[in-house]
Amino acid sequence: MTTLGDALQASGVNRRAFLKFCSALTSLMALPPGMAPAIAQALAKAKRPSVIWLSFQECTGCTESLTRSSSPTLENLILDLVSLDYHHTLMAASGTAAEAARAAAMKEWDGKYLLLVDGSIPTSDGGIYGTWGGESFVDILQQGVKGAAAVVAIGSCASFGGIPKANPNPTGARAVSDLVKDKPVINVPGCPPIAVVMTGVLAHYLTFGKIPELDEQLRPRAFYGDTIHDRCYRRPFYDQGKFAKTFDDEGARNGWCLYELGCKGPITHNACATVKWNAGTSFPIQSGHGCLGCSEPDFWDKGSFYKALSTTEWGNAKTLGAAAAVGIAAGAAAAYFGRKRQEKVEKEG
Amino acid sequence: MSGLDKIAVKVVDGADAPTGNVRALMHELAQLVDAWTRGGEPASIDLRSLPLTRGDYAELDTVLGAGAVSASVEAFGASEVRESQYPGVWRVTHRNEAGEVVADLVEICEVPLILRAPGEDVTDGLIRLKEALQP
Amino acid sequence: MDLLAFTRGPGMHWALTIFVIGILWRLLGILLLRGRRDLSEPRNTAVWKGLRLIGLRSWPRKEFLGGTAFGEIMGYTFHIGFLVALFFYLPHILYFEDLFKGVLGVNFHRVFGFDWPSLPGAAIYFFAAVSVAALVAVLVHRIWDPVKRMLSNFDDYFSWFVTIAPVATGMLAFSHFGAPYPTLLAVHLLAVELLMVWFPFGKLMHSFTIFLARGTQGMQFERKGAPL
Repeated sequence: MTTLGDALQASGVNRRAFLKFCSALTSLMALPPGMAPAIAQALAKAKRPSVIWLSFQECTGCTESLTRSSSPTLENLILDLVSLDYHHTLMAASGTAAEAARAAAMKEWDGKYLLLVDGSIPTSDGGIYGTWGGESFVDILQQGVKGAAAVVAIGSCASFGGIPKANPNPTGARAVSDLVKDKPVINVPGCPPIAVVMTGVLAHYLTFGKIPELDEQLRPRAFYGDTIHDRCYRRPFYDQGKFAKTFDDEGARNGWCLYELGCKGPITHNACATVKWNAGTSFPIQSGHGCLGCSEPDFWDKGSFYKALSTTEWGNAKTLGAAAAVGIAAGAAAAYFGRKRQEKVEKEG
Repeated sequence: MSGLDKIAVKVVDGADAPTGNVRALMHELAQLVDAWTRGGEPASIDLRSLPLTRGDYAELDTVLGAGAVSASVEAFGASEVRESQYPGVWRVTHRNEAGEVVADLVEICEVPLILRAPGEDVTDGLIRLKEALQP
Repeated sequence: MDLLAFTRGPGMHWALTIFVIGILWRLLGILLLRGRRDLSEPRNTAVWKGLRLIGLRSWPRKEFLGGTAFGEIMGYTFHIGFLVALFFYLPHILYFEDLFKGVLGVNFHRVFGFDWPSLPGAAIYFFAAVSVAALVAVLVHRIWDPVKRMLSNFDDYFSWFVTIAPVATGMLAFSHFGAPYPTLLAVHLLAVELLMVWFPFGKLMHSFTIFLARGTQGMQFERKGAPL
């Protein structure tokens, strides 16, 4: 493998630009800026790894988020740094030529390539709900994982099952980590994940040659350590009890907290409140809509996006009505036996 | 739709008021410069790691002021280097080709790294210079 | 399913179900019992006037204040703090309004024309802290006083625990102290669900039965013509 330094030189990136890129990378990975020169040195000498990207049950939103830039920018340089030997959606080749490219890359970099997966994997009925050229996604994933150094599950579908797994999950969709047990897995959830978070995770792996520190959900702590609520700029309003009651009311227009409108910020771990979207433009709460909780498992099935966090799935009127009926019956029965005992006591004087 | 134009739109995000963080930042800068002058290392602060509002950035610009040196570096987008009114304290803003800020730093050093000519680039340039001087 | 998903889902569902069944069972089991037949001639026929005993018994007669003042004051302090924290904190209000709408099928605002008012979080925190202090004070007294200690049983201590747990965990969740917020929230909900499940089966039923007991006794006194 060529080194990253050689690859950058070849693509016309001079050393000043490389240093600037490393400053940006250092800032992105929330490392002290003084480390930028050291990171530049490490990166320049690092081997250019092969990356294979497999897309399964996905909407392509993750790829869109990652590549959403018509002109190449410094952050997207990371895509140039990796040898993207196979990207199911982006690559020009298709059909048997593409599949041959995948097989060749996996063979050449056996044991060393980074496997990127977006989309969940359907497992019901032998996995027939997702296939390429007759092979099921389950099999393709297992083949890909065999020779991979590590697996990065991009997006909530790959990380946790996402929308295909939502109730009633007709295809038996599963997350990557459900199916891959013998290789390191990094989850980069979000629907979609923030672009710079995806590139930051890749950058970390490229720079340090190992996976970043992960939480219990296998998410990199550098980006998923805080909840949205921890860093939300509307916290002063939450603390003062100033909440918007409906969309576009007086409170909403004054930028008050969106708790009542269903914001799931307090239980959602992601970098949206600090890193924001589209190069720091905004994020859902800043634009007036509550957080959906899209980087948490099963967020599609956790109740309405527009009901406050404190409302819970308590059942429905029917079940409570049934409970009331049972209670009334039990009470009547208890009273009946109680009366019987009262009569007995009275009779005995 | 009628009626929509009657709704007054107020763009608010609470991001304009200064928070007092700049003063704390300046104290930290003072300590870093002090340590550097006493034989320590140059240092830098990543402004994006701090919770600064737009008002804070404006206040920072005012407080740092302008020194003798200002430079711009073209390298995959423009980078702006300005010495503040305190020599050795530099404001360095890196942008990509789309003009978006990719790193925003305050560097405490003799001259920011981005301004120095990298050794390998010098040797590469020498090769080209010698070639150009060939008769 | 992690703890938070459980407590926001099936945990709450079952706790509410058991709560409803338990309360109705206990209340009806009492209300449907027959009172002892009083064969004497009633002095007063308007026995409903005796219900005012419920209000009259809200504070001890001054002859008894010496021994009961501590308990009365601590009791009121705890109850007021607890009820304010429960009913005037916005996330709780939203929970109840959601229940209201789910069970009755119509918005609270639609029916009553106003939104249930809420207090700022810091005020709620103060009321919760005060109620926790009162609870600790009464526990200390219960353990220290030899008579109370001898009279106390599992119900007393466990009911105390399931009451203080939601308030204390609520304060921890509010201040984001000690663990990540999602964990604090899950533990708070678990404590609430424990309270709901225990409520119908122990002395916490006094929240209903004191009114039944005082009312019944008041009506009996009124019938007999005894002064209330």
